[in-house]
Amino acid sequence: MAHPLTDAQLIARVVVHDDRNAFSELVRRHQSAVRTTLRRLTAGNHALADDLAQETFMLAYRNLKSFRQEARFSTWLYRIATNAFFADARKRKEELLGDRDGELAAEEDDAAGETAEAARADPTRGASLRIDMDRALAVLSDAERAAIVQCYHNDLSHEEAAVVLNCPIGTVKTHILRAKAKLKARLAGWEPQ
Amino acid sequence: MSGPLQSRPDGDDWVDDLLRADAREHRDGYLDDDGFTARVMAALPAPATLPAWRKPALAALWAGAGIGIALALPGTVVDVAHEILRVILGQRVSLASIGTGLLVVGASAWTAAALALRRND
Repeated sequence: MAHPLTDAQLIARVVVHDDRNAFSELVRRHQSAVRTTLRRLTAGNHALADDLAQETFMLAYRNLKSFRQEARFSTWLYRIATNAFFADARKRKEELLGDRDGELAAEEDDAAGETAEAARADPTRGASLRIDMDRALAVLSDAERAAIVQCYHNDLSHEEAAVVLNCPIGTVKTHILRAKAKLKARLAGWEPQ
Repeated sequence: MSGPLQSRPDGDDWVDDLLRADAREHRDGYLDDDGFTARVMAALPAPATLPAWRKPALAALWAGAGIGIALALPGTVVDVAHEILRVILGQRVSLASIGTGLLVVGASAWTAAALALRRND
Protein backbone atom coordinates (compact mmCIF):
# COMPACT_ATOMS: atom_id res chain seq x y z
CA MET A 1 0.00 0.00 0.00
CA ALA A 2 1.33 3.45 -0.89
CA HIS A 3 2.24 5.78 1.98
CA PRO A 4 -0.17 8.68 2.36
CA LEU A 5 1.32 11.94 1.18
CA THR A 6 2.57 14.38 3.82
CA ASP A 7 1.00 17.81 4.22
CA ALA A 8 4.09 19.34 2.58
CA GLN A 9 3.74 17.09 -0.49
CA LEU A 10 0.03 17.87 -0.80
CA ILE A 11 0.72 21.60 -0.48
CA ALA A 12 3.37 21.38 -3.22
CA ARG A 13 0.85 19.69 -5.52
CA VAL A 14 -1.72 22.41 -4.88
CA VAL A 15 0.77 25.23 -5.40
CA VAL A 16 2.46 23.80 -8.52
CA HIS A 17 -0.40 22.06 -10.33
CA ASP A 18 -3.50 23.55 -8.65
CA ASP A 19 -4.32 19.94 -7.69
CA ARG A 20 -7.85 20.07 -6.27
CA ASN A 21 -7.72 16.48 -5.01
CA ALA A 22 -4.64 17.33 -2.95
CA PHE A 23 -6.37 20.36 -1.43
CA SER A 24 -9.46 18.28 -0.72
CA GLU A 25 -7.27 15.83 1.21
CA LEU A 26 -5.77 18.70 3.24
CA VAL A 27 -9.26 19.95 4.13
CA ARG A 28 -10.38 16.45 5.09
CA ARG A 29 -7.32 16.02 7.35
CA HIS A 30 -7.63 19.32 9.19
CA GLN A 31 -11.35 20.09 9.17
CA SER A 32 -12.02 18.52 12.56
CA ALA A 33 -9.29 20.47 14.38
CA VAL A 34 -10.17 23.78 12.71
CA ARG A 35 -13.93 23.41 13.24
CA THR A 36 -13.49 22.32 16.86
CA THR A 37 -11.18 25.27 17.55
CA LEU A 38 -13.70 27.67 16.04
CA ARG A 39 -16.54 26.11 18.00
CA ARG A 40 -14.56 26.90 21.14
CA LEU A 41 -13.71 30.42 19.99
CA THR A 42 -17.33 31.17 19.10
CA ALA A 43 -18.46 29.79 22.48
CA GLY A 44 -20.37 26.90 20.94
CA ASN A 45 -22.00 28.63 17.95
CA HIS A 46 -21.66 25.68 15.56
CA ALA A 47 -23.18 27.35 12.50
CA LEU A 48 -20.93 30.39 12.81
CA ALA A 49 -17.93 28.15 13.53
CA ASP A 50 -18.53 26.15 10.33
CA ASP A 51 -18.96 29.34 8.26
CA LEU A 52 -15.67 30.64 9.64
CA ALA A 53 -14.01 27.26 9.05
CA GLN A 54 -15.09 27.38 5.42
CA GLU A 55 -13.72 30.92 5.15
CA THR A 56 -10.49 29.70 6.77
CA PHE A 57 -9.93 27.02 4.13
CA MET A 58 -10.84 29.41 1.30
CA LEU A 59 -8.24 31.89 2.59
CA ALA A 60 -5.73 29.06 3.04
CA TYR A 61 -6.26 28.01 -0.59
CA ARG A 62 -5.78 31.55 -1.85
CA ASN A 63 -2.66 32.16 0.25
CA LEU A 64 -1.07 28.72 0.11
CA LYS A 65 1.83 30.09 -1.95
CA SER A 66 2.80 32.32 0.97
CA PHE A 67 2.98 29.37 3.42
CA ARG A 68 6.70 29.07 4.17
CA GLN A 69 6.64 25.74 6.05
CA GLU A 70 8.39 27.41 9.01
CA ALA A 71 5.49 26.39 11.21
CA ARG A 72 3.23 23.34 11.06
CA PHE A 73 0.42 23.59 8.54
CA SER A 74 -2.10 23.16 11.37
CA THR A 75 -0.59 26.14 13.24
CA TRP A 76 -0.86 28.23 10.08
CA LEU A 77 -4.52 27.19 9.75
CA TYR A 78 -5.18 28.09 13.41
CA ARG A 79 -3.76 31.53 12.71
CA ILE A 80 -6.05 32.07 9.73
CA ALA A 81 -9.02 30.72 11.70
CA THR A 82 -8.28 32.98 14.67
CA ASN A 83 -7.93 36.03 12.40
CA ALA A 84 -11.23 35.15 10.72
CA PHE A 85 -12.85 34.84 14.14
CA PHE A 86 -11.49 38.20 15.34
CA ALA A 87 -12.56 39.93 12.12
CA ASP A 88 -16.05 38.50 12.44
CA ALA A 89 -16.23 39.34 16.15
CA ARG A 90 -15.31 42.95 15.43
CA LYS A 91 -18.12 43.08 12.85
CA ARG A 92 -20.65 41.61 15.24
CA LYS A 93 -19.33 43.15 18.43
CA GLU A 94 -22.36 45.21 19.39
CA GLU A 95 -25.08 42.70 18.62
CA LEU A 96 -23.27 39.45 19.40
CA LEU A 97 -20.93 40.10 22.31
CA GLY A 98 -23.10 42.63 24.14
CA ASP A 99 -26.23 40.48 24.11
CA ARG A 100 -24.48 37.19 24.56
CA ASP A 101 -22.34 38.31 27.48
CA GLY A 102 -25.40 39.57 29.27
CA GLU A 103 -27.41 36.43 28.61
CA LEU A 104 -24.62 34.09 29.48
CA ALA A 105 -23.67 35.97 32.62
CA ALA A 106 -27.29 35.81 33.84
CA GLU A 107 -27.56 32.12 32.92
CA GLU A 108 -24.29 31.44 34.60
CA ASP A 109 -25.25 33.18 37.82
CA ASP A 110 -28.44 31.13 38.00
CA ALA A 111 -27.01 27.77 37.10
CA ALA A 112 -23.33 27.66 37.98
CA GLY A 113 -23.64 26.87 41.65
CA GLU A 114 -26.10 24.03 41.43
CA THR A 115 -24.57 22.46 38.28
CA ALA A 116 -21.11 22.41 39.77
CA GLU A 117 -22.31 21.01 43.08
CA ALA A 118 -24.23 18.26 41.30
CA ALA A 119 -21.31 17.56 38.98
CA ARG A 120 -18.97 16.60 41.78
CA ALA A 121 -21.03 13.58 42.71
CA ASP A 122 -22.19 12.87 39.16
CA PRO A 123 -20.78 9.91 37.20
CA THR A 124 -21.16 11.98 34.00
CA ARG A 125 -18.69 14.49 35.42
CA GLY A 126 -16.94 14.90 32.05
CA ALA A 127 -20.10 16.05 30.29
CA SER A 128 -20.94 18.45 33.13
CA LEU A 129 -17.43 19.88 33.04
CA ARG A 130 -17.78 20.51 29.32
CA ILE A 131 -21.05 22.37 29.81
CA ASP A 132 -19.68 24.44 32.68
CA MET A 133 -16.44 25.09 30.83
CA ASP A 134 -18.35 26.23 27.72
CA ARG A 135 -20.30 28.70 29.82
CA ALA A 136 -17.23 29.89 31.67
CA LEU A 137 -15.22 30.33 28.45
CA ALA A 138 -18.08 32.31 26.94
CA VAL A 139 -17.66 35.12 29.47
CA LEU A 140 -13.97 35.59 28.67
CA SER A 141 -12.93 38.31 26.26
CA ASP A 142 -12.23 37.13 22.69
CA ALA A 143 -8.48 37.53 23.20
CA GLU A 144 -8.47 35.65 26.53
CA ARG A 145 -10.57 32.82 25.10
CA ALA A 146 -8.33 32.61 22.03
CA ALA A 147 -5.22 32.36 24.24
CA ILE A 148 -6.77 29.57 26.34
CA VAL A 149 -7.96 27.67 23.25
CA GLN A 150 -4.57 27.85 21.54
CA CYS A 151 -2.48 26.99 24.61
CA TYR A 152 -4.70 24.32 26.15
CA HIS A 153 -7.05 22.93 23.54
CA ASN A 154 -4.64 23.10 20.61
CA ASP A 155 -1.67 22.36 22.89
CA LEU A 156 0.51 25.15 21.46
CA SER A 157 3.46 26.62 23.33
CA HIS A 158 3.34 30.29 24.30
CA GLU A 159 5.64 31.06 21.37
CA GLU A 160 3.40 29.28 18.88
CA ALA A 161 0.29 30.87 20.40
CA ALA A 162 1.91 34.30 20.06
CA VAL A 163 2.44 33.62 16.36
CA VAL A 164 -1.13 32.40 15.90
CA LEU A 165 -2.58 35.35 17.85
CA ASN A 166 -0.18 37.81 16.25
CA CYS A 167 0.88 39.36 19.56
CA PRO A 168 3.91 39.31 21.91
CA ILE A 169 4.47 36.29 24.17
CA GLY A 170 3.98 38.51 27.23
CA THR A 171 0.50 39.41 26.02
CA VAL A 172 -0.37 35.72 25.62
CA LYS A 173 0.75 35.06 29.19
CA THR A 174 -1.26 38.01 30.48
CA HIS A 175 -4.38 36.83 28.64
CA ILE A 176 -3.97 33.36 30.13
CA LEU A 177 -3.50 34.67 33.67
CA ARG A 178 -6.55 36.93 33.41
CA ALA A 179 -8.61 34.18 31.80
CA LYS A 180 -7.69 31.73 34.55
CA ALA A 181 -8.58 34.26 37.24
CA LYS A 182 -12.03 34.68 35.65
CA LEU A 183 -12.43 30.93 35.21
CA LYS A 184 -11.51 30.40 38.84
CA ALA A 185 -14.41 32.61 39.89
CA ARG A 186 -16.82 31.08 37.36
CA LEU A 187 -15.90 27.48 38.13
CA ALA A 188 -15.67 27.92 41.90
CA GLY A 189 -18.01 24.97 42.37
CA TRP A 190 -15.40 22.67 40.86
CA GLU A 191 -12.69 23.64 43.35
CA PRO A 192 -11.64 20.57 45.33
CA GLN A 193 -12.67 20.82 49.01
CA MET B 1 9.82 26.33 24.92
CA SER B 2 7.27 27.54 27.41
CA GLY B 3 3.82 26.08 27.69
CA PRO B 4 0.74 27.02 29.67
CA LEU B 5 2.10 25.29 32.76
CA GLN B 6 4.92 27.79 33.13
CA SER B 7 2.59 30.73 33.60
CA ARG B 8 0.52 29.06 36.30
CA PRO B 9 0.44 31.03 39.54
CA ASP B 10 0.23 29.16 42.83
CA GLY B 11 -3.26 28.14 43.82
CA ASP B 12 -4.53 27.87 40.24
CA ASP B 13 -3.68 24.18 39.89
CA TRP B 14 -7.27 23.00 39.99
CA VAL B 15 -8.28 25.46 37.23
CA ASP B 16 -5.32 24.25 35.23
CA ASP B 17 -6.34 20.63 35.79
CA LEU B 18 -9.91 21.38 34.70
CA LEU B 19 -8.64 23.11 31.56
CA ARG B 20 -6.36 20.17 30.79
CA ALA B 21 -9.16 17.65 31.31
CA ASP B 22 -11.44 19.68 29.03
CA ALA B 23 -8.66 20.05 26.46
CA ARG B 24 -8.00 16.29 26.45
CA GLU B 25 -11.66 15.66 25.70
CA HIS B 26 -11.53 18.35 23.02
CA ARG B 27 -8.49 16.79 21.32
CA ASP B 28 -9.76 13.23 21.53
CA GLY B 29 -13.07 14.10 19.89
CA TYR B 30 -13.18 13.96 16.10
CA LEU B 31 -15.79 15.91 14.15
CA ASP B 32 -17.20 13.91 11.25
CA ASP B 33 -16.80 15.64 7.92
CA ASP B 34 -20.57 15.57 7.18
CA GLY B 35 -20.08 17.12 3.74
CA PHE B 36 -17.89 19.97 5.02
CA THR B 37 -15.01 19.20 2.63
CA ALA B 38 -17.43 19.00 -0.32
CA ARG B 39 -18.86 22.42 0.58
CA VAL B 40 -15.37 23.96 0.74
CA MET B 41 -14.38 22.40 -2.59
CA ALA B 42 -17.60 23.61 -4.23
CA ALA B 43 -16.92 27.15 -3.04
CA LEU B 44 -13.39 27.30 -4.50
CA PRO B 45 -12.94 29.47 -7.58
CA ALA B 46 -13.10 27.58 -10.88
CA PRO B 47 -9.68 26.32 -12.03
CA ALA B 48 -7.94 28.74 -14.35
CA THR B 49 -8.00 27.06 -17.77
CA LEU B 50 -6.52 28.61 -20.88
CA PRO B 51 -8.99 29.05 -23.76
CA ALA B 52 -8.65 26.37 -26.47
CA TRP B 53 -7.77 28.89 -29.15
CA ARG B 54 -4.80 30.30 -27.21
CA LYS B 55 -2.14 27.77 -28.32
CA PRO B 56 -2.88 27.84 -32.08
CA ALA B 57 -3.19 31.63 -31.92
CA LEU B 58 0.24 31.91 -30.26
CA ALA B 59 1.82 29.54 -32.81
CA ALA B 60 0.29 31.55 -35.67
CA LEU B 61 1.58 34.80 -34.16
CA TRP B 62 5.15 33.46 -33.85
CA ALA B 63 5.03 32.04 -37.37
CA GLY B 64 3.70 35.36 -38.67
CA ALA B 65 6.45 37.24 -36.87
CA GLY B 66 9.09 34.90 -38.36
CA ILE B 67 7.76 35.26 -41.90
CA GLY B 68 7.48 39.04 -41.41
CA ILE B 69 11.15 39.29 -40.38
CA ALA B 70 12.21 37.06 -43.29
CA LEU B 71 10.30 39.26 -45.75
CA ALA B 72 11.50 42.54 -44.23
CA LEU B 73 15.17 41.51 -44.06
CA PRO B 74 15.68 38.91 -46.83
CA GLY B 75 19.45 39.41 -47.11
CA THR B 76 20.09 39.07 -43.39
CA VAL B 77 18.01 35.91 -43.09
CA VAL B 78 19.83 34.26 -46.04
CA ASP B 79 23.21 35.32 -44.58
CA VAL B 80 22.35 33.90 -41.17
CA ALA B 81 21.11 30.63 -42.74
CA HIS B 82 24.33 30.34 -44.78
CA GLU B 83 26.48 30.97 -41.70
CA ILE B 84 24.62 28.34 -39.68
CA LEU B 85 24.99 25.79 -42.50
CA ARG B 86 28.69 26.60 -42.86
CA VAL B 87 29.32 26.14 -39.14
CA ILE B 88 27.40 22.86 -39.04
CA LEU B 89 29.00 21.41 -42.17
CA GLY B 90 32.44 22.59 -41.07
CA GLN B 91 32.31 20.37 -37.98
CA ARG B 92 34.03 17.03 -38.12
CA VAL B 93 31.48 14.54 -36.94
CA SER B 94 32.58 11.09 -35.74
CA LEU B 95 30.40 8.02 -35.28
CA ALA B 96 31.02 8.19 -31.54
CA SER B 97 29.70 11.75 -31.27
CA ILE B 98 26.61 10.81 -33.34
CA GLY B 99 26.04 7.89 -30.95
CA THR B 100 26.47 10.11 -27.90
CA GLY B 101 24.06 12.67 -29.34
CA LEU B 102 21.45 9.99 -30.01
CA LEU B 103 21.92 8.63 -26.48
CA VAL B 104 21.44 12.07 -24.92
CA VAL B 105 18.34 12.79 -27.04
CA GLY B 106 16.89 9.36 -26.18
CA ALA B 107 17.52 9.79 -22.45
CA SER B 108 15.96 13.27 -22.48
CA ALA B 109 12.87 11.98 -24.32
CA TRP B 110 12.57 9.05 -21.89
CA THR B 111 12.83 11.35 -18.82
CA ALA B 112 10.30 13.81 -20.24
CA ALA B 113 7.83 10.98 -20.96
CA ALA B 114 8.27 9.53 -17.45
CA LEU B 115 7.69 12.95 -15.85
CA ALA B 116 4.62 13.59 -17.99
CA LEU B 117 3.14 10.19 -17.06
CA ARG B 118 3.82 10.83 -13.36
CA ARG B 119 2.05 14.18 -13.47
CA ASN B 120 -1.02 12.59 -15.07
CA ASP B 121 -1.35 10.00 -12.25
